[in-house]
Amino acid sequence: MTDRIKEQLSAFLDGELPDPESALLLKRLERDDELRGALSRYSLIGAVLRSDGDVPAARQVAARVSAAIAREPFRGVQAQLPRRVAVLRSLGGLAVAAGVAFAAVMLVRGVNPGPGAAPEVVLAQAPVPPVQPVADDADADSGEALAVPYVTPPAADGPAAGLPQAELANFLVAHYGYASPLVRRSVGAGLISDDEAAIEGALEPASQPDP
Amino acid sequence: MSPRPAIAFALSLAAMPACAESGQEWLARMTAALNNASYVGEFISESAGRTERLAITHRVRDGVVSERLVSLTGHGRELVRENDEVVVYLPDQKLAIIERRAGRSDLMGSLPQFEGRMASWYKVDWVGRETLETFGPTAVVAVRPLDGYRFGYRLWIDLDTHMPVRSDLSDGSGRVIERLRFTRLRFDDNIPDSAFEPSLDRSKLRWVRQSPQTDDEAPAWKAAQVPPGFRLSVSGMQALAGNGAPASHLVYSDGLATVSVFIQPPVAGKPPAQGTSRSGVASAYTTVIAGHQVTAVGEVPPRTLKYIASGLRPVGVPPETPAAAAANRRN
Repeated sequence: MTDRIKEQLSAFLDGELPDPESALLLKRLERDDELRGALSRYSLIGAVLRSDGDVPAARQVAARVSAAIAREPFRGVQAQLPRRVAVLRSLGGLAVAAGVAFAAVMLVRGVNPGPGAAPEVVLAQAPVPPVQPVADDADADSGEALAVPYVTPPAADGPAAGLPQAELANFLVAHYGYASPLVRRSVGAGLISDDEAAIEGALEPASQPDP
Repeated sequence: MSPRPAIAFALSLAAMPACAESGQEWLARMTAALNNASYVGEFISESAGRTERLAITHRVRDGVVSERLVSLTGHGRELVRENDEVVVYLPDQKLAIIERRAGRSDLMGSLPQFEGRMASWYKVDWVGRETLETFGPTAVVAVRPLDGYRFGYRLWIDLDTHMPVRSDLSDGSGRVIERLRFTRLRFDDNIPDSAFEPSLDRSKLRWVRQSPQTDDEAPAWKAAQVPPGFRLSVSGMQALAGNGAPASHLVYSDGLATVSVFIQPPVAGKPPAQGTSRSGVASAYTTVIAGHQVTAVGEVPPRTLKYIASGLRPVGVPPETPAAAAANRRN
């Protein structure tokens, strides 16, 4: 399978392939088992997990397939029907599988203990876990917070040269007002923190300031 | 009722908590406290083996929010917010940065409801009650991210005041990357204006003003790829200190985490930066696209910033080659 075909497949899944090319791709799907396999491999999980939760991605893919078929001129060639049916079955199966996978993701994501769920009562102060540095390439290793399907973002590779501190401060000041209320104070603290004066490794507060 | 069922019913009542508690309810109480309370306190910020001590003065009066944050460790940097104006004082750099966003004070809004769309990206759990040495009993609530594109929170909410007296920020794998904990907290409805005056000599500072300029109804850039749940919430032009031409500013949010993307035209003689930077829990990823400096900033994992920034394209230009798109999908 050539890169050109892969590109078309990708554009088709994104709904960005022009109609004439979609029709051609559909024809190729009819006769190319490898291409159908690629469609299945590349799109299924990615399409499901990238969906925004409103419309199952599988339904969108199926709709694009249907639309492409509908746009095709009717040629009345009965001999093509069995093959066409096979392709549609294949794509239908993909859509169903994607739908099932999507439903599974949403079901598991949606499991929230209700208000009546038995609380976990902590009788005393729990052990305090250590504070770790922010990881650039944290794995998708699910800790205690993640007993659910997990989307792993691509790794942030490359050099960590980054911005000069002064420039970074300018961006952070501009961003500060948009930061979530939960973390805005942290962003502010980061802005006025003093690298040189920070107490390396200290875990307890310094002595109280003079009044 | 025969004696046996009656005894069983009584035993079941005794076994139930007096009031079922939920994380959502405690978050709502906390939000109300954060929006309405005026207080003075000190807290410790721990991140990456570093500890900073900060003082905070927060006042809500007639709908106007004033806040002053002072670093008690080092050079006495300060951040003072008066509703929609933020001033950061960096005396060690003899610099003060002013950011004023007229008419945008609503952006400093409340916590979202973790329902509907939000429930697809975060899960709110009631953890239980925990007694903290400084503040006594607290309600512990966890806000867990359901993928690796955002951070999670564990909050210790004071039972009486509903203030978050401790919060742990964790990455996608549950590792705590920042902890804020109050060491002192006093409520005060009569905080004077003078409490928000910076304590440093302002006459020796160089003042730099940077502000949003116009709302950009048709942004010239857009992100071809964002993590699930992130949507464009604000777009406009932004003057940035030290840069002649204003930058395009796009804000993407999933309702809780936000990412700002700044697109700056090239500056003659200035080599473009590239890579990741960090300031506390916020990170920045900067790269060059179509000759422009693209910088994504936010309180999210660095890889989220890279994911968004690397997909920025001028409107009208194909987002990326389909081959690259296919490669991304396979990754």
